[in-house]
Amino acid sequence: MVRRRELLAYLIGAGIAGTILVGPYVLRIIAGELFMPGHAVPVVPVVLLPIVWGVWNLLWARRHPPLSIGIWGAVLGLAAAAGINAYLLATRVWFGAAALLIVFLPVVYWLLWRLVVGPLNEALGVEGERGGRSRPS
Amino acid sequence: MPTLGLIRRGTPTPPGDLWTRLEARRRERDELVHVAMPSIGWGELAAVAALLAVVAVVPDPLGFLVASGML
Repeated sequence: MVRRRELLAYLIGAGIAGTILVGPYVLRIIAGELFMPGHAVPVVPVVLLPIVWGVWNLLWARRHPPLSIGIWGAVLGLAAAAGINAYLLATRVWFGAAALLIVFLPVVYWLLWRLVVGPLNEALGVEGERGGRSRPS
Repeated sequence: MPTLGLIRRGTPTPPGDLWTRLEARRRERDELVHVAMPSIGWGELAAVAALLAVVAVVPDPLGFLVASGML
């Protein structure tokens, strides 16, 4: 058995990340064909994003960490950036600019979790008893 | 009176508004949800500017965005 709030949290995280996958699966092809035809780009296993985001939001609902939802998302972004760099290194396609992901992804994730995941959590009742409290971002 | 007629008399006529009642019940449960967006402040604008600056600076923006999983 799983609590309703936690299941809802998982579905919100997975749903948002699944929606974001339109970028890698549609826009990448269009952008690649338009701007860099024939240019090989390193591809990371972003298909796992919905599961990771869902589990991360489930943990947010279950653990009640003393952080804002934005910072919670940024921590996931940091972990994702480290994971992506490790993956690129392991597959021998690492490039220098990939190190910037360590700064880039946490900021992207901070924005997405603060502006999208957090409001949906609040609206659908995932926040539970702490929903009424306002937290700094 | 035949038995069938007695049974028919004893059983109340079923209401013919089943669909109406079902629809009303569905509407009751289909509550409206208000999504309150946080205000966009200088922090958010600075974050977006920093992201755009990074994408503008890296030598291979497409490869960088693909590696980030955003594209």
